[in-house]
Amino acid sequence: MTNTSEQATPLQLRNRDDIVLRLEHLVVNFKVGKQTVQAVSDVSLDVALGETLGLVGESGCGKSTVGRAIMQLPPPSAGRVLFKGQDLSNMSGEALRQTRTGLQMIFQDPISSLNPRRKVRDIVAEGLQIWRRPNQDARVREVMEAVGLDPDTVADRRPHQFSGGQCQRICIARSLALDPDVLICDEPVSALDVSVQAQILNLLEDMKQRYQLTMVFVAHNLAVVKNVSDRVAVMYLGKLCEIGNAEAIYARPAHPYTRALLASIPDMDPDARGQQGKIPLLQGELPSPANPPSGCRFRTRCPNAQARCAEVEPVMQAVADSMTPDHFVACHYPL
Amino acid sequence: MRQSEHKESNASLLQVSNLSIRLNSAAGLVHAVEDVSFTLKAGQTLGIVGESGSGKSVMARSLMNLLPRRAVAQRKGSVLLSGREISTLSERELQRLRGPDIAMIFQDPMTALNPVLTICVQVSEPLQQHLGMSKQAARARAIELLDAVGIPDAVNRIDQYPHQLSGGMRQRVVIAIALTCNPSLLIADEPTTALDVTVQRQILDLLTGLQKERHMGMLLITHDLGVVASRADFIAVMYAGRLVEVAPANTIFKSMQHPYTEALFNSIPRINDASHTRLQAIPGRPPQLHNPAPGCAFAPRCPYAQQRCHRETPPVVQAEQAEHLHACFYPVSAPVALGGVR
Amino acid sequence: MPAKKHPKIESRAQNFARALQQVFGRGFGPGFWLAVVWLLIVAFCALFADWLPVRDPLDPVIANRLNGPFTSNLLGADGLGRDIFARLIHGARVSVVIGLTAVSIGMLIGGALGIIAGYFRGHFERALMAVLDVILAFPWLVLLLALVAFIGQSLFAISVAIGFLWIPAYARVARANTLSVVQREYVLAAKAMGASTSRILIKEVLPNVILPVLAYGLVAMGLVIIVESALAFLGLSVEAPQPTWGGMISEGKRHLATAVHVAVIPSVTMFLTVLSLNFVGDRLRSRFDVKESNL
Ligand SMILES: Nc1ncnc2c1ncn2[C@@H]1O[C@H](COP(=O)(O)OP(=O)(O)OP(=O)(O)O)[C@@H](O)[C@H]1O
Ligand SMILES: Nc1ncnc2c1ncn2[C@@H]1O[C@H](COP(=O)(O)OP(=O)(O)OP(=O)(O)O)[C@@H](O)[C@H]1O
Ligand code: SF4
Ligand code: SF4
Ligand SMILES: [Mg+2]
Ligand SMILES: [Mg+2]
Repeated sequence: MTNTSEQATPLQLRNRDDIVLRLEHLVVNFKVGKQTVQAVSDVSLDVALGETLGLVGESGCGKSTVGRAIMQLPPPSAGRVLFKGQDLSNMSGEALRQTRTGLQMIFQDPISSLNPRRKVRDIVAEGLQIWRRPNQDARVREVMEAVGLDPDTVADRRPHQFSGGQCQRICIARSLALDPDVLICDEPVSALDVSVQAQILNLLEDMKQRYQLTMVFVAHNLAVVKNVSDRVAVMYLGKLCEIGNAEAIYARPAHPYTRALLASIPDMDPDARGQQGKIPLLQGELPSPANPPSGCRFRTRCPNAQARCAEVEPVMQAVADSMTPDHFVACHYPL
Repeated sequence: MRQSEHKESNASLLQVSNLSIRLNSAAGLVHAVEDVSFTLKAGQTLGIVGESGSGKSVMARSLMNLLPRRAVAQRKGSVLLSGREISTLSERELQRLRGPDIAMIFQDPMTALNPVLTICVQVSEPLQQHLGMSKQAARARAIELLDAVGIPDAVNRIDQYPHQLSGGMRQRVVIAIALTCNPSLLIADEPTTALDVTVQRQILDLLTGLQKERHMGMLLITHDLGVVASRADFIAVMYAGRLVEVAPANTIFKSMQHPYTEALFNSIPRINDASHTRLQAIPGRPPQLHNPAPGCAFAPRCPYAQQRCHRETPPVVQAEQAEHLHACFYPVSAPVALGGVR
Repeated sequence: MPAKKHPKIESRAQNFARALQQVFGRGFGPGFWLAVVWLLIVAFCALFADWLPVRDPLDPVIANRLNGPFTSNLLGADGLGRDIFARLIHGARVSVVIGLTAVSIGMLIGGALGIIAGYFRGHFERALMAVLDVILAFPWLVLLLALVAFIGQSLFAISVAIGFLWIPAYARVARANTLSVVQREYVLAAKAMGASTSRILIKEVLPNVILPVLAYGLVAMGLVIIVESALAFLGLSVEAPQPTWGGMISEGKRHLATAVHVAVIPSVTMFLTVLSLNFVGDRLRSRFDVKESNL
């Protein structure tokens, strides 16, 4: 795994042999009219074999875009995506098509990611048909059973006859059918009720144990993220703010944004209504990614911001007294 | 709730009685909503939680008569909005209600938006149609609304197409559309599932603020028990098309009666648990809504099920506390500590 | 999947019957069925005109000139004493042939162009839309006259000319539908599975585009029939003595003062046909307009 890019290797990239997925200086820009939306700017991270990386952040901060850039849908504007050491961003059509089967993605919008005119059976079998795998019917039944759908009653129906949560399970079944190495889950459980959510999370956990599945898991529910993740990466406005061991981040967030996120979790106790924590809630709006603030992107809403934050962009640094190593934060004045 | 609130039913904004809905599907009739009754007063929030596929969205849509006509095989029961029966209204009369009287936030933001129209067109259309605003005025108001739901840089965003927005922003656009005509009843079908916690907070604050200001009633469907705990006055738990438990928010958290409610609460991942804690999923498969078997729908998965549960359907009965209803023969009577295991 | 193990899986015939019932089963109302029956009658006449027990549509019987309906002739006779009923039936053939051919040509070429433009976007789309705009900016009648002058006046030539005229409209409908399909995540999902472009076009895009395009075809067919009659008015439709509805109306206008029925009867026939096509097309379109989800 050689790093040939001129830029320095970011600190948070680990030097291990079992890194399955590695993003280096990933940049994704969209042109909208005359403006350029910097959806993802310079994100570097890595995921080791059998590890789950939770990706959290404000809505619109570029989580889905990172996921899609990994799949090369669309390919990133700059930077590299290394999958098992192969650079996907340099690959051409056919090679990419072959390699990409090892990577699967569960898309954010379950209903929109199912073709309304196809039967559930065909949707789940899609990948198997494309790659002419043997024993398709048996495999389809197996994955449908695995996600808690009854193959006999659902296989012949079309997606519009299912509820949001049922659609999500169809999506999960489809992505598992090809036995991927890496599964990118873009909010796979946010449409599900907590009991099905628990089933799916347990299922993903089992799959992980059984097939050494490596996952990138995007979600808004921080309790869910903590449950599934080994490491957690926090993004804000296209940048990585903090990355590290899940327990460590939840116990002692080092970035002011991470702290604000954790403080906004709705409290389960109805008596605690209206008296949530002492930590100030986030004020103001997410700035436009077409025109991000100078220096630290979080400074317009950061309670700890100082003059320096507007001038110098903070770089990743190790968190001094964290519970675990490999905990990094991009802030001049970490908590 | 039916008995206890009959006398003040004229004060209620929405009164649903014995609503049952069956849908056609390739595999036969789907009993999507079965004998659902509840009341919602102006200014109150009823949170609805439940299994995915249990009929929450079907029920919500039927309140606005928005189910595809072809899909509905049978529909029984009455829906009174401010004392007026709406299940028998004509399509034209309903159209006049939708917007100013009832508005709905749909579960799926991408399909609720038209992919080939700009955000501006979609937000300002109801303004022009229902409020008779001019094009410019509607555009200006649309920008205000998008601002209010927390879309950054609304002036520029307004001319974009839905696919150019992130999932959360699409959802906020959908919320903005629902709020255009200041509805008196808002049906929010998972309004914040696509949003992160900080924005969720903002949106819920916005909705609660509006609710206070305009005395708006709200039906809040969600999977996030934290959201209902912090926002709803009443919580209704739905399973297999039926409301199995309805109670004021703090009552239900302290003394839940239905085994399904208990199981639901036990399957929540807790933020204080260690990573990779095995979650207590409810064993078995979610219920089939085609040709449901007789008896309690939860019986095959219920740890307390007895012979009787497989034969008879438990009726809705009153629990000890006021306004607390449940449908179970053998309720979980002992109070359960939050997050605790019995 | 072995059928014996899963008795619930139905035979294809049952499936088809259920699908038919779902599409045509409920909620169309009697108007729709009247329209369908009318269209079936027209189609039947067009197919079997030669074998139907009607008079010879080309045989002038001077004695019957301009006779009214229910006299010597069932629906009266025209200025040359030819039987209007027989001419209507034989004229249906021209309308149906022109309608079908023109619409198919427009649908195939326009639909394909629209799908390709909507899927690949970029330069091709921009170029195509520019060309289509230019075509649309031309007065259609002038364009049609030029085309007819160029390729001739046979039934086929006229169908092709009218079909050509429809390419822009179809391309637009197909492109708009494709655009909305392509942004759906199921297309991304198929790509992620490694589906080839042609597979995506055939399996994911086409099924979602074809039904609205087909339904639009019925509406378009009604318009094609009107266009034919406009050509006939200018004497540029299929050459006499072959009866066409448009030709009959245009001949009938000479006798408006004396024998109204000569123009009115073919007009009403045409009107009913166009109305039925529109009605059926519209209903089917709204029915096929499957949302991604009903919920
Ligand atoms: N195709 C596109 N064209 C233009 N802008 C886009 C496009 N896709 C995404 N964006 C922009 O990129 C930014 C990041 O979007 P993305 O969907 O990655 O957010 P997200 O973190 O997944 O948010 P959410 O949690 O709401 O889904 C947003 O500002 C969005 O408007
Ligand atoms: N158009 C339809 N035709 C037939 N069955 C349908 C249709 N729409 C929904 N159903 C069925 O009705 C049941 C209830 O669906 P509904 O969407 O209301 O669930 P839900 O409670 O909203 O679930 P979720 O939380 O996952 O959104 C499901 O079993 C579903 O399969
Ligand atoms: S760098 Fe400054 S503005 Fe940014 S998070 Fe740290 S303290 Fe706040
Ligand atoms: S009625 Fe019986 S099966 Fe149903 S929830 Fe109560 S105890 Fe369980
Ligand atoms: Mg997203
Ligand atoms: Mg729903």
